[in-house]
Amino acid sequence: MTAAPMIDVRGVVYDYPTARALHGVSFTVEAGAVLAMVGPNGAGKTTLLRCMAALDNPTEGEITVAGLDTRNDPRGVHAAIGYLPDFFGLYEELSVRQALTYAARSRGMSPADTPVAVDEAAARVQLTDRLEMRAGELSRGLKQRLAIAQTIVHRPRVLLLDEPAAGLDPEARRSLSDLILRLAGEGMTIVVSSHILAELEDYSTRMLMIRDGAVAGGGVVAAGSGARDGLRVSATFTDPPDDLAERLAAIGVTLERHDGEEVLLLAPDGEDDAALLARLVGAGLKVRAFQPARRTLEDAYLAEVTR
Amino acid sequence: MNPEFQRNLWLEASPRRIAWAGVVLLLIYGAAVALTRNNPYGALPALGGVGAVVFVACAMLWGARASGNSILTEIADRTWDFQRLSALQPWAMTWGKLLGGSSLAWMCALTGLLMMIIAGAASRVEGLATTAVFMLALAVLLQAISLGAALIGVRKARAEGRTARASGVLGGLIIGAILLSWVAGSAGFQRGMGTEGFGALFSAGGLVDWGGRLWPAAGFRAVALSLFAAWAVVGAWRLMRLELQMQNAPVVWPAFLIFLAIFAGGFMLRTQGLAAGLAVGSLVVALSAYAAAFAEPADRVRIRQFVQFAAKGDLARAAPLIPAPLAPLLIATLLVLAAFATSTGSLMAPELGQAGALIAFLLRDLGVIALCRMGERPQRGDFSAVVALGLLYGVGGAVGWAVGRETGGAMFAPLGHAPLISLVSGLVQAAAVWALAARRLGLNAPPSAPASVPAT
Repeated sequence: MTAAPMIDVRGVVYDYPTARALHGVSFTVEAGAVLAMVGPNGAGKTTLLRCMAALDNPTEGEITVAGLDTRNDPRGVHAAIGYLPDFFGLYEELSVRQALTYAARSRGMSPADTPVAVDEAAARVQLTDRLEMRAGELSRGLKQRLAIAQTIVHRPRVLLLDEPAAGLDPEARRSLSDLILRLAGEGMTIVVSSHILAELEDYSTRMLMIRDGAVAGGGVVAAGSGARDGLRVSATFTDPPDDLAERLAAIGVTLERHDGEEVLLLAPDGEDDAALLARLVGAGLKVRAFQPARRTLEDAYLAEVTR
Repeated sequence: MNPEFQRNLWLEASPRRIAWAGVVLLLIYGAAVALTRNNPYGALPALGGVGAVVFVACAMLWGARASGNSILTEIADRTWDFQRLSALQPWAMTWGKLLGGSSLAWMCALTGLLMMIIAGAASRVEGLATTAVFMLALAVLLQAISLGAALIGVRKARAEGRTARASGVLGGLIIGAILLSWVAGSAGFQRGMGTEGFGALFSAGGLVDWGGRLWPAAGFRAVALSLFAAWAVVGAWRLMRLELQMQNAPVVWPAFLIFLAIFAGGFMLRTQGLAAGLAVGSLVVALSAYAAAFAEPADRVRIRQFVQFAAKGDLARAAPLIPAPLAPLLIATLLVLAAFATSTGSLMAPELGQAGALIAFLLRDLGVIALCRMGERPQRGDFSAVVALGLLYGVGGAVGWAVGRETGGAMFAPLGHAPLISLVSGLVQAAAVWALAARRLGLNAPPSAPASVPAT
């Protein structure tokens, strides 16, 4: 039996008074995945995230997050998720401790559990030594960390981040990546929206492309350095046959990209690269170059664009 | 403790701010004592008067502003979505903001009330408790109206694609003030209308004629304001529910309208009879329809969804989307019909014609408001609607009067001289305006069509 997805989006349409922003978007996200939601500016990513966060109701369609319907149980969804909007604000006059205490308590955490949760969240984002500072005194990067700490202090099962690295310097981006990897390692399901592929590269395991308010390509696909869907190999063949894709399929290998003589191949997970090379040669293919390759998010993006 | 209340206490009533407020209050009360040191009655009467002023300034002005700002500053500081994502119940959020946002204002105001009560008790002032209840109720009413107006402003701004402004709060306060003025200036107080009503409200004396009997004015005033304050808090709570993505069943709003009709009609009952009471009730409810039409977000997607669900018979999904002016329109219609049936024993022309004309013009006006507000640029819709209604009643009425005196005027207003002409004219205008409004709303478009089609 297949486990229910952590996020299930079915036929979501969203209308603004003057335009349709989402056109029947459907996809699912498994528990524990880190989904990179990519697409150009104005594609509908933020609208979709707001619907998933139960901040806006879709015109049509349904969304369930952690088994809760966003329309019927918005407060339940709010308690189950953490959401960081692209333009977030902080209570600048509150101390970091007060801000985190309010975030925990307003998200349903008991007074007894709150102090521990506050210390834990501050430690996760490395703000322990600044707990008594006013939020307004923090730098841009530290404010970003506090905002993320506020979204995770109640230990949500799902984290939705909208352009989280916007405006951060390289060091802050690196520490954000590390944090997301740590949270993913703890089993949190994370959706990160961005139009900059490089910043998603380090931690994404899945990718969803949104374009013009609709899912582009083949829906949620494996992507990024965290993807574990098989062995990728970059190869070059001399005189590649016309039926290359069929011959590869016959030996259990998928042709992901074909660019002249150079191809990107995907073998099943657990495949040994030496064994794969032997099978290619055995299939009569003249292998000139053979190099195991990591599938970057850009590879996945381009594969979906050209699909 | 309610986390929202606690957060507001951290921000509004920090020890430093409390200390500064204490210093300012000491200076004010100290100045009052110093100025009246030669008064043969002592400083207490002056302190009582200053206390009353402090209460009005802090609880009613500062407190009302702080309550509205408890929402508007969240919008300005981009923290409102963070609040909307909380797991707090709408009621906790409402009272947390209402009391927390104005916590320092309340602390200062209560010192003033205390001074006033001590001075009043020393002078053996009659009805001191009633006056205190009245002042507290008025403060809560103004603060709740301010909070509700801010919430309405936020909803309108979101639908219209603009930033929420304090003008929404100000507009709400003015509407609340007019309502209070009307209550105080109604026939039951025998003081006339408009600003005179404010004087009557503060200096109520004698008896009030309501519900077929006479009541002591001070007590009536305190009870009535307490009830309106309770309704204002309930209204803010219902609006907060909507902001927190919860759905409201169409129960509380019609209940308030019925309360309003009973309250307004009650002033007529003993001297003018039931028919007059029903007529006044219908008038107040009809005015509420205008207020509701302007307070509703200019969201044609929501209206289209309502029409589509209603057409499919899906009442469970249609009910929370019912446009707010619909309830007062229906209730006002029923009250007008009841008023005329009560006065004549049967609904015969011309009374029926006049009743119908009143409703037809209300229907037309709601259509004009919808037409103006649901366009491509809803930001300008409110002003356009006010101008359009002004032109129809002002210029249209003048032209009609110039052409055919009462008969001509009756084509542009529901006049009693030619009720059938008013009825027919009102219905024709209402049909024309609603046909245009339906086209603008895209009500005839297929359910799958984008909201932007048709755009004109």
